[in-house]
Parts: sequence; structure tokens; C-alpha cells
Amino acid sequence: MNDRVILLVEDNRDDEELTLRALGKSKISNRVVVARDGVEALDYLFKRGSHANRPAGEEAQVVLLDLKLPKVDGLEVLRAIRAHDDTRLLPVVILTSSVEERDLVDGYGLGANSYIRKPVDFTQFLEAVRQLGLYWLVLNQPVPRR
Amino acid sequence: MTDQVRQALADVSSAANTFLETTDDYDQLLATIARSCAGVLHATCTVSLIDDGGETITPVAMHDEDPAIVAAYPYLGQSVSIGSSAMRALREHDVLYEPNARANGYAAAAPGMRTFLESIGALGYLVIAMRVRGEMIGILAVFRRRAELPPLDERERGFAVHLAHLAGLAIANARAFRSAEQTQRLHDVTKFVDAVLENIPAMVFVKDAERLAFVRMNRAGEELLGIPREQLIGKTDFDFFPQDEAEFFVEKDRATLHGDSTVDIAEEPIQTATGTRWLHTRKVPLRDSAGVPRWLVGISHDITELKQHVASLRAAKEAAEAANRELEAFSYSVAHDLRTPLRSIDGFSQALLEDFGDQLGGVGAGHLNRVRAAAQRMATLIDDLLMLSRVTRAELKRSHVDLGELFRTSLATLQRLDPERRVAIAISGELHVSADPQQLAITFDNLCGNAWKFTSKRADARIELGSHVEHGSRVFFVRDNGVGFDMQYAGKLFGVFQRLHSDSEFPGTGIGLATVQRIIQRHGGRVWATGEVGHGAMFSFTLGE
Repeated sequence: MNDRVILLVEDNRDDEELTLRALGKSKISNRVVVARDGVEALDYLFKRGSHANRPAGEEAQVVLLDLKLPKVDGLEVLRAIRAHDDTRLLPVVILTSSVEERDLVDGYGLGANSYIRKPVDFTQFLEAVRQLGLYWLVLNQPVPRR
Repeated sequence: MTDQVRQALADVSSAANTFLETTDDYDQLLATIARSCAGVLHATCTVSLIDDGGETITPVAMHDEDPAIVAAYPYLGQSVSIGSSAMRALREHDVLYEPNARANGYAAAAPGMRTFLESIGALGYLVIAMRVRGEMIGILAVFRRRAELPPLDERERGFAVHLAHLAGLAIANARAFRSAEQTQRLHDVTKFVDAVLENIPAMVFVKDAERLAFVRMNRAGEELLGIPREQLIGKTDFDFFPQDEAEFFVEKDRATLHGDSTVDIAEEPIQTATGTRWLHTRKVPLRDSAGVPRWLVGISHDITELKQHVASLRAAKEAAEAANRELEAFSYSVAHDLRTPLRSIDGFSQALLEDFGDQLGGVGAGHLNRVRAAAQRMATLIDDLLMLSRVTRAELKRSHVDLGELFRTSLATLQRLDPERRVAIAISGELHVSADPQQLAITFDNLCGNAWKFTSKRADARIELGSHVEHGSRVFFVRDNGVGFDMQYAGKLFGVFQRLHSDSEFPGTGIGLATVQRIIQRHGGRVWATGEVGHGAMFSFTLGE
């Protein structure tokens, strides 16, 4: 499972570190690529810009996507992912602070696979990250690579 | 003259005089003339009036001692011809005198008249013109039919002429009186219309159909336009209003006059002495008896203020909506941005505890745990405040709701989070309502959450949902047997951040019941609480229609 890359799209450094910590605490040792805004996330996924030369085989297996992002926001990133043939079936988990009904509806409407609200309580956060890692990286069978 | 003749003349005179003082005895006067004449001359007598055009007459009164003769007469009230030569003869000589008409085979009578003469067996006749100021207005006709009497003689003819003269005067007086009366009535009606027009708080004007010049303008119109009527009368719209406005008015005027119904102009601007005003105008064509449009009546209501009010209402609504959108954006930011640092505070406190716990010692770890608890409490506060604001902003969508189901769902969630507890649950009464399901779910989460919390120290905890009818409206209640509260603080329960228990005793934010109250109030209902320390609490509410 180690070859499965997690793409964490998160602009807040604290949240980034806490998520990485939670992943580590949950014994999820997959490589985590962090994109700090929507543009960078799409560059990684579509091998563009600063990620134009990334090696093949480092395709993201799951995207942990914050909604409130600089430049291109999370819902736009999701829209682009679903619009592109290569990433159309890529699991995307929205990981955000918002529980606005509108964000939930829009997120699922654009094809998010899951929607998780980051709990303030780190103990709960840890549990959430552990469960989603277990589910998406271990239990869930990915789409076969072409 | 015999007494009888004198009496007859006096009768007609008095009837004529009486007629000058009364109003509705025109028919009586004509009957009196016929009766007086017939009585004196022992003859059949008719009074006829000349019709418009002067060629025919209409018999209007008749008398004979024998009522059967009158009953058999078919021409009363009908226009009949006595022949143009007879009419001409009367105009020239005033009298047609044929005392021996039957003996002559009615040679001088017109065919229509001859039939009548034959039918009553008239021996002779006298027809006398009745004149008013020289103009022939009618005729008095006398027919002698009784064979035992001599033919109509000169003396009787003289009487009849005299009577016809008096009758003509009486009829002229009656007509003058009637005309005066009609003039008076017209005057009264005009005064009434004037009073209405002058005092109605809308502009009313009349234009002639031909030139569309003003022939009438009321006071409200003068005030609205700022132009006295003396200046308006005889002038047209082009003399007062800008070209395009005048053209618009005139176009509507013409359309009204050519059409056959009222034209309604919902909004039209008009330049007045005090600036542009807006009118709601109705235009009506007035036609003469031949159906030709003669006048245009316009009625205009000044709707300038109304328009301004509508506009300011619309602006206020837009401002409120903008403010609401702003609040929504603000709430969204609060939800997202205020929670993020809390997550850092909590997460890194936990990291400190985990990574440097041995260096912190028990007291240090205790402090860090307090930091974490505070961060989590603040997160709860933010969530609760967001809920309160969301409840206020969300549109109320009513549908059928089973309160029993909401109650059970709320309690099932509480049970799942707190599996050790044993709480008896009771549901009774009519619980089906029309309400917003989401908002009522929030209500029950709060009410059940409270009941769950405040019964936590009892082994025999019981939470009950029920309803009953009070003063004609259905009241729902959630009752528990928890710690209750002192009724003197009942008013404080529903205020934001108002709490009756310390956080260490029963944790909470003090926002839940404020949210409940707002939801119930938005449904048009009322919520209140009753309780007693140590004996539980009961939250009751109604839901409006």
C-alpha cells in the first residue's frame, strides 16, 4: 500500500501538520503529497507546472480536499478532477471546517466520494483520519489502472 | 250664461289655478277640461294635444255621461290623424263647426274621424284649436250624439271657444310649471354632481370630443396641476404639458372616444407646478342620444406617493436581502475561520501532551487539558451560534411532521452516545402537525438533549412527549423528571447564553433554548417552561397555523 500516494490539498500549515501527524499516528505510511492551493493540486494531478516532471506511477490514490483554498477553491478543483478523463474516477474526500448545507450539497453534487468535517477535538480528528485512511487506502478497491 | 255654464268655466279656471300650485296634476287638468265641457254641453268631449311635427294629434282626455262611450274609444293616448285639410282649417279659422254633420254624411270629416263619428252616432261636432301665445297646441272636440237635443248652436259654440281658450292657458301654465320643476330638478342634480366633483380627492375633468379642450376641471385637478380652472377651460393639453406628454394624453383620449368602453391607464407621468406626478387615470366616452361621442370624462388618481412607497419598500427589501446575504457570508466565514485556530490549539496541545508529557508533569498536563477543553467548548459555542443564526435565516418550509418520530430519533441518538443510561420514554396524544421538519428536528434535539442531561442523575429517569388542547389550540410538551428549575428564573431560560446551572454541574452553551424559541416563534407559536426544583421540567409549545 506504500506506493499509493495521498494528495492532501490544504493551505493551512497547522492543519497540514496535524493531518500528517494524525496519518502517522494511524500508522498510515503512504507518501503524502501536499498541495497548498487549488492550482498546485491540479498541477500535480495533471502533471503540469511545478509538477510537470513528476515520475509516472506516483498517481494519487485519494485526494483529501479542503474547500477554502487560495487561487482555485476546493469545489473548482473537484470540478476539474471530475471533468478530466484521467481523474474522473479518483476518490476525493472533502475534509473541511464547513458544514454549510450548501457546501455539502455542492460537494456531493460535483461528485465527492465523502465529506468529513474536521473536528476541533484532536482525538476525534485522529479517529476520523484513521478511519478514512483505513477505508480509502486499505479496504477500498481502487479502479484498475489502465 | 246659465249657472251651469258659469260653474263649468269656474271649474276650468280653478283647475288651471290649482295647477299653478301643484306639480303632478297635469292629467287631472286635462280630465277636468273634458268633463266640464261634456257636462255643460251634454256632449262627448275630447282634449287632444298636437304631436311634434304638427300633423297628428294625440287624444289625452275624454268625457261622456255614458262611460261605455269612453270605454269604447280606442284612440286615447294614440297618435291619430284628423286630415291635413282639417288641421289647416283649424290653424286658419280656429274652429270647425258642423252642427249637422250626420245629415251631410260627414262630408267634411277626415276618414279616421268619420269612423269615430259613425261609431258614436254623432249628429254634429265642434272642433276648436287651443292656443298658447298664438301657437296651436291642441284641440278641444265636442260631439253631439243625443237625438233629443237640438244641434250645437252658436251659444254653445261660444262657450266651447271660451273654454278652449281657458284650457289652452291652463295647459300652458302646467307646461311652464312642469318645465320649471324640471329645471329645478336639473339644478338640484347639477348641485349634487358639483358637490361630488368638487370634493372628490381625485382630478376629474371633461373635454369636448371635437377639440379635446377642457370644458370642466374640478378643484382636486386645479390643485394637482397648479393651474386655476379659468386658465384651463377652453384650452387643450398642448397649452400646458410638454409635447410628448400632451401627445400621449390626446392619443388615449382619441382611443377612448373611438372605442366603446372605459380606458384604464395604470400609470402616466404628468408635469405639474410642483414637478412630475404619477397618475392612475380612467377615461370614459360620453355619447349623446344618437350615440355620437360628445365628451370625454377623465378621472385621475395621484399615485405618486404610492409609487414612492412601493419603491422604498422594494429598496428596503433589497437592502434586507443584501444584509442577509452578507450575514450568510459572515456566518460562513465564522464557521470556517474561527474553528481553524481552535483546531490548532487543541491539536498542538495534544501533540505537546503526547510528545513532551514526561517533561510537563501532572500540573502541566492538567493545564494543557484545560486548554483543550476550552478550545472544544468554544467550538461547541460557535456551532450553537451558527445553528441559531441558520434557524433565523432559513426559509420556513412546512410539511407534514410526526413529532413522535422526531422525539424518538433525538432520544435514540442520545442513547447511542450514552449507551449505559436507562431512560423510560412515553409518547401520547395527537402529534401530527404541519411544520418545518428540519427546524422541528433541531427543536427536539435541544429539548430532548436538555431532558436527557437534566435527568442524568436519576436512576428512574423518564422523558415524556404529549399534547393536549388548551384554550382551543393544541399544546405539545416535553416533560422530564430531572432536577427541574426554580420558576422565578423561568423567564431567563430562553435568553441567549442564559444558564441556570453551572457548567461543572451540567455542561451547556445556553443557546439551545434560544434556538428553540426562535424556531417556535417563526412558526407563529409560543414556547414556555414550567418546573420545580427537584421535580422535573416541562417545556410546552404551540405551532401556529
